[in-house]
Amino acid sequence: MSEAKDKSSFNIDVVLPQQGLLYSEHTFDYILCKPKLMPLKSVTLEKLEKMQKEAYEKLKEMQEQDQVTGVH
Amino acid sequence: MSDKRLGSGGARLVDDQQQQQQQQQSSSSGGEQLGTSMELFQALSLFRRKKYEQCCQICSELLRKSPLDQAVWLLKMRALTLQVYVDDIEAEEQGLAETLLDNDTIASMPRPGTSLRQPGTALPGQAMRPRTQTGRPVTGVLRPATQSAMDGSQSLEQVLRTPRTGAAGRPITASGARSIRLGTASMLTEPGGPFIQLSRLNVSKYASQPSIAKALFEYIYHHENDPRYALDLAVQATQVCQYKDWWWKLQLGKCYYMLGLTRDAEQQFRSALRDSKNIETVLRLVRVYIRLDQPLAALELCKKSLDYFPNDVSILCEMARVFEGLNNVTMSVKYYKIIAQEDASNTEAIASIGLHHFYNDQPEIAVRYYRRLLQMGVHNAELFNNLALCCFYAQQYDHTISCFERALSLATEEALADVWYNISHVAICAGDWIMALQCLRLSIHYDSKHAPALNNLGALEMKNQNVAEARVYFHAAASIASFAYEPHFNSALLAYNTGDLQTSYIAVQKAMDAYPEHADSKSLLKKLQRYFTYM
Repeated sequence: MSEAKDKSSFNIDVVLPQQGLLYSEHTFDYILCKPKLMPLKSVTLEKLEKMQKEAYEKLKEMQEQDQVTGVH
Repeated sequence: MSDKRLGSGGARLVDDQQQQQQQQQSSSSGGEQLGTSMELFQALSLFRRKKYEQCCQICSELLRKSPLDQAVWLLKMRALTLQVYVDDIEAEEQGLAETLLDNDTIASMPRPGTSLRQPGTALPGQAMRPRTQTGRPVTGVLRPATQSAMDGSQSLEQVLRTPRTGAAGRPITASGARSIRLGTASMLTEPGGPFIQLSRLNVSKYASQPSIAKALFEYIYHHENDPRYALDLAVQATQVCQYKDWWWKLQLGKCYYMLGLTRDAEQQFRSALRDSKNIETVLRLVRVYIRLDQPLAALELCKKSLDYFPNDVSILCEMARVFEGLNNVTMSVKYYKIIAQEDASNTEAIASIGLHHFYNDQPEIAVRYYRRLLQMGVHNAELFNNLALCCFYAQQYDHTISCFERALSLATEEALADVWYNISHVAICAGDWIMALQCLRLSIHYDSKHAPALNNLGALEMKNQNVAEARVYFHAAASIASFAYEPHFNSALLAYNTGDLQTSYIAVQKAMDAYPEHADSKSLLKKLQRYFTYM
């Protein structure tokens, strides 16, 4: 608290340089794409994908069986 | 004797007379009946415990013994339905054909803020969100609505090129995709041919039996995935109950919607809503409005139905999604926050709020949301990847590497591209250019159309002064993702630095189209215009 009181008692003057030139040049740089948070899968989508995968595996099994029986 | 053979599996249904005869016959052999009823009891028990496959097996056995047993037939029908049942409100997808060739939309040039196709007014911060392959800003959860609405800036070519992946893309037609998906499932469950042959089904007979009709409808709709037969049944059944049952109206609407008759579906849903207020009907009507590209009507309907169902999570969720589709992130997050208050374990709400905080420069808050998801038991590559990124930007470096390792071990091939892409950001921030280059190359290996990875690879090649390679990467990224401003700006800058002002001018204009407020693009354009006026 005492510090705050001390600070308010005096002001710091703004110093502006009187000599020399101030340059401000904007340089372009190549920009990167942002990091990508991945959307989570909803429960329904996960169930659908699971069903699809199971169906695919069953189909594959059946095809393999057909091939085996076809050879014999 | 009107014995209708229903399928090659031998399932038949009986008239009352026949049933009585059968009962008389079976009562003579008491022991056999006891065994049968025990098996039926076992099947019922399995059904209740959700062991549908075993239940179906027992039912098939029973039906082989007595093909006319209606109870077993019904039980098998229910078991088969529930085996492939998915919440089709959530699983709905709009296919390519629907998106490109539909004529449902009312206004071809809608005013800004009234259409999901041209959301227009992007809010500050929104442009910072990366986009999916279809050009929509990424959302917290992958769901139907994030994939359906097409950006106005996208060309036909762009849509056709987008592959069907988890990163968002779409199948050719919605009904096609679903029927293939579920159709194969239904064929596989029945090695000896279909359980019920729809073409031989006496629809009018079953329509008059309300207890069977509803189960049969669900079987045809979900298992056989044949909206035409389902519609036929629903029309006759609703006539039988003299248009008084809202359930049948809802089903009629579902069939119409699936067949693409959106306006008829709307009528049915409205009529069903008049009879009985029901959340499912509301949600389906909202989907109709979204298909018709009338988000404001959808919001209006949601607000009205919130009077009947105060603070209902699924309706609030629908509102939040519509707002997100309109690029109104603040309203969307507001609704997601209400949802999270109502249902503290709603994955979609938590993920969406987390995502919002991350892209609003508050990764340390986003960490808390994603950690909550982890606590809830979500365990997949996407979540670990998000956690790793949030931890990294919240300066919790110790967790970052282990989270990325877990994400890599859990990821499927589609997801791997994104995970490696994100790891490259960590490498870039650590100043390890070689590792960053390797990560980006891996990302492109898994997904050759990963535009952000190509763009970043170009930017890194520029650091190594490989101008020609960088140019190729920028061009590739720009042609894959014309909706992203970064590759356009980068190729404009490259052309500007090499003195090819005309190419630079064209590219920077594309960047301005994608993101009109981009300060660097603006000043580059101004410089170019100054050059051209001097000439």
